[in-house]
Amino acid sequence: TGSAKKDPGLSKSYVMSVFKHFAKTKVSTDVYPVLKEIMEHYFDRLADDLETFAAHAKRKTIEVEDVELLMRRQGFVTDSMPVNVLIEKYLPMESRKLLIPVATSGNYVIPKPRRK
Amino acid sequence: MLSTTSCLANVNCREKMPTAMDEEERKLQRLKAAVHYTVGRLCQSIGEDHQKEFSRQVIAAIAETTFRQCDIFAKDLEAFARHAKRSTVSVEDVKLTARRSTALANFIQRKSEEIASANQEQRDTRKKIAGKRKNTEMV
Repeated sequence: TGSAKKDPGLSKSYVMSVFKHFAKTKVSTDVYPVLKEIMEHYFDRLADDLETFAAHAKRKTIEVEDVELLMRRQGFVTDSMPVNVLIEKYLPMESRKLLIPVATSGNYVIPKPRRK
Repeated sequence: MLSTTSCLANVNCREKMPTAMDEEERKLQRLKAAVHYTVGRLCQSIGEDHQKEFSRQVIAAIAETTFRQCDIFAKDLEAFARHAKRSTVSVEDVKLTARRSTALANFIQRKSEEIASANQEQRDTRKKIAGKRKNTEMV
């Protein structure tokens, strides 16, 4: 049977654009297969770790704190680099609003209409 | 010339009250010395097994590595315990730190089982002794 279903994962164009964004040099297209393999490996491990951390806290659902613990172990989150700073640094505005619900500056304050 | 400067330094040291920082530093040095000693002993016994010698520098390097690794382990264990909403580090947390390396994980698993069974035996003997005492008291 031919695998008709599209394999779940990030699209090639997306992976390559992100990689090119962070790479300091020019990137040839033939790094993609290797990159894809590495990404698959990474996500496998990620899922495994998150599952273990959730089970450690006697949960069956992976929550934000599991991800934070994972990033702490990976060395992305340290005492001098909290999660919120990373979110501010790397994520687009919509995601930031989702993850850090704070009052944004420059919003309009509409005064209450005066009662007569 | 040298002696006078060292004397001055000594006088200064004596005049200064021992601060908390100094105390902390001394503690650290003591711990490092203890680790260094143990590492030396371990290296000696391993060297005897393999008919090899460890140079002093190697032992010092291993001791320093061990010391820094302890720092990492402590932070990890703390994080894992807090993650499980505990303030006490348990065997489960230790297993979690070592799960990346299969051999080490298996070793720790075996050890933990040994310790658990030993504890169980201890409890059993205590119970027996307590039971015997009760029996004698009854008689």
